[in-house]
Amino acid sequence: MENMTQDKTIINQKILIIGSGFAGLGMGIQLMRKGEEDFVILERANDVGGTWRDSHYPGIACDVPSHLYSFSFKTNPEWSRVFSPGGEIQSYLRDCAKTEGLLPKIHFGRDMLASRWDDEKKLWFVETSNGLYSAQILITGTGHLADGHLPNVKGINDFIGEIFHSADWNHEVSLEGKRVGIVGSGASAIQILPEVAKLNCEVTVFQRSAAYVVPRADRVYTEAERRQFRRDPTIIDEVRQQVFWEGEYNYAQRRGVDRFLKEAKDMALGHLENQIKDKDLRAKLTPNYEVGCKRLLISNEYFPAFTKDNVTLEPSAIKEVNGSTAISADGNKFDLDVLILATGFEAVRPPFAKRIYGKGGIDLDTHWDKGMQAYQSITVNDYPNLFIINGPNTGLGHNSVVFIIEAQIDYILGALEFAKENNVLAIEVSEDAEQKYMEELHIRSQNTVWLDGGCKSWYVDDRSGRLTLIWPDYAHSFKDENGTFSPDGYMTITG
Amino acid sequence: MQISTENEPKKLTVNDVEITYFDSGKQDISDRLPLVMIHGTGGRTDSHFGYLFPLAAQRQRVISIDLAQPKLKSESLSLEHLSAQVMAVVNHVIPDEKITLLGYSLGSVIAASIASAFPKTVENLILIAGWMKTDTHQVMRNQVWKELRKENSEAIKKYMTFCAFSAPFMSNKPIEEMLAAAEMIEINEFVDMQMTLNADIDITEQALDIQATTLVIGCTFDQMVPKHHSKQLYSVIKDARYAEVASGHAVVFERPAELVQLIDNFTQNPQKHEAGEIIPALRP
Ligand SMILES: Cc1cc2nc3c(=O)[nH]c(=O)nc-3n(C[C@H](O)[C@H](O)[C@H](O)COP(=O)(O)OP(=O)(O)OC[C@H]3O[C@@H](n4cnc5c(N)ncnc54)[C@H](O)[C@@H]3O)c2cc1C
Repeated sequence: MENMTQDKTIINQKILIIGSGFAGLGMGIQLMRKGEEDFVILERANDVGGTWRDSHYPGIACDVPSHLYSFSFKTNPEWSRVFSPGGEIQSYLRDCAKTEGLLPKIHFGRDMLASRWDDEKKLWFVETSNGLYSAQILITGTGHLADGHLPNVKGINDFIGEIFHSADWNHEVSLEGKRVGIVGSGASAIQILPEVAKLNCEVTVFQRSAAYVVPRADRVYTEAERRQFRRDPTIIDEVRQQVFWEGEYNYAQRRGVDRFLKEAKDMALGHLENQIKDKDLRAKLTPNYEVGCKRLLISNEYFPAFTKDNVTLEPSAIKEVNGSTAISADGNKFDLDVLILATGFEAVRPPFAKRIYGKGGIDLDTHWDKGMQAYQSITVNDYPNLFIINGPNTGLGHNSVVFIIEAQIDYILGALEFAKENNVLAIEVSEDAEQKYMEELHIRSQNTVWLDGGCKSWYVDDRSGRLTLIWPDYAHSFKDENGTFSPDGYMTITG
Repeated sequence: MQISTENEPKKLTVNDVEITYFDSGKQDISDRLPLVMIHGTGGRTDSHFGYLFPLAAQRQRVISIDLAQPKLKSESLSLEHLSAQVMAVVNHVIPDEKITLLGYSLGSVIAASIASAFPKTVENLILIAGWMKTDTHQVMRNQVWKELRKENSEAIKKYMTFCAFSAPFMSNKPIEEMLAAAEMIEINEFVDMQMTLNADIDITEQALDIQATTLVIGCTFDQMVPKHHSKQLYSVIKDARYAEVASGHAVVFERPAELVQLIDNFTQNPQKHEAGEIIPALRP
């Protein structure tokens, strides 16, 4: 890394944003629209889009309807389907960056390697793979599902054959005529399997735990509908409201209210029964934990894929790889040519945290040794002038993440406004305020399915047993409580 | 902290009639007043508040009363009969406590009249899809209903469903689902009595008197109690603010989570919005 920092010119601006997914782009767009142009977005890749740039596996689509899963301030009448394919979402994000004049603000090919707070200068100094930067305000939009999680499986690195993660699909590898292993049964796996199963290949799915899957009310939007959306954008607003409140309704399941758990479970198990007639197979596809403890998945094609002759369900995790043979926890052996890891993401300990050093020179990952936490899910004591979008306790099991991102953007805009009006050089949340917020969240998390549902999920941090990823309440409550900045709980230094 | 969300029905005898009510229990962590709920015509806690009750109970103690058919001699059902049932439960479960009183549809008419009669008890008031004075539009619907009822018509439940749900909501559902919803409706003698009561409501004087901090919630596409009724309540009640939900009269089924939001924000800080304010809907 040394040689990369030899050019000592420091590019200075008021605000530095890391990442150009929904979070970074949304932040940039709103800054531009507010007339604040003194900012730069750093992006390690060479294109915008984040999740939607990196994940391009066959079958990829959003699972919150597109009209809601997009910016409220930049709606799109052209969505082709209720749940649009990933490529379309990526084009939408590119289009947002372009039409809002954001592209010149994005410095691509800059991996943020280390961000250090200088308490004397009241500035962040940021080292990247291509140049040094400094800024008064640092905003991370590095994503919570950005870095693929690789399973800790003996011998997997020596697998003889092709191996790749769902978020890094290798389109060069033809699956035709191959023996393909898919590891996982989460949100990505259920989109991938039906597509791969269509090919002339043998597929084995390694399922550590079965998923609750409910019907997917997908369909194409007709040209007539799209014309209406174009002519009368208020219709898009109505659709957004309707979809949003339908999503909110489902929070009752996460809250662990029996009646709604049963409603969801009946729907999921009824869907399974409708689609799978074979009792043995059905038993293997029936989850053994409470519904909603893990993400509730939607698909009409996942279960039927298992009835195909070329698909085998191995109802246990992959445990070991020996040459080209994968061995399951149940001891079954499968000879494979290709291994597809649909094993999720490093979410509990986001990699960006290792690269951010606060007042005491301690990195956030170390600081968070009992699990991540932030006041109002956005600021951290000892880390002044840092705002984390999509960080601790922001994840939703039941609604659009873009809604949360927008609430956080509004909060940051409020904080920036406050800083400007009061000539604030540094703003830092007090330890008390942060702890109090976390205690309240912890109390609120009790009796939710995430903590009580009896499954191992990436929502919970093993080190503390606490929910550190999930916002344990309605999405609207997040906005009501954390969408508007207030200086209460903050310490400020004015210039 | 244990919050009970599945509640055993409890019983209380009021004027010789056994009343069922639900109580989510005392909540130590909440500084909010107990929330007392009154359902609408033909409803019960389970049907009208199946969603609101357990979710509102995450934030405060909730008590909900299943109105019951009173023993009447020759007189017809009045608001007083029903108010007496509500107050009996309140005085039994939380005597001398101040409350937030919530009514839905006919329940909000009852709630408003209780608020005017017991200003010391009812500190806050939430009126969902309520009204003050029955008007011709309502009488017309009421008469069609009565004729269908008299004829023992097959169409009556479909008619009720048609009136209750908004066009935007219904148009997004397959007809089978709406017909199944219609089949769930129960009609009995008590419902007949409530329909007669509904045809002749006038609580204008009481509404003028209400002192409680009030949230009025109207429903944009309500065909049973069109939103101008909510606007009237909002205008007449001194300390009222107004919110609107893009729903039909069956808002407790169409947009229950949005109601939870409005109720939650209001009970947390009733004065957050000033009297006369129109609270903008969330635009996600
Ligand atoms: C397959 C898939 C489907 C999904 N579907 C949905 C859905 O339907 N609904 C929903 O609500 N959510 C969905 N999600 C969650 C999704 O991650 C979020 O909705 C959203 O895309 C997150 O946006 P973001 O900007 O926060 O993060 P990302 O999109 O992950 O963007 C982060 C960006 O930061 C960059 N970056 C990271 N670290 C650095 C660094 N050190 N230096 C420089 N740049 C860096 C990355 O390259 C990336 O471009 C899905 C996720 C996946 C993986």
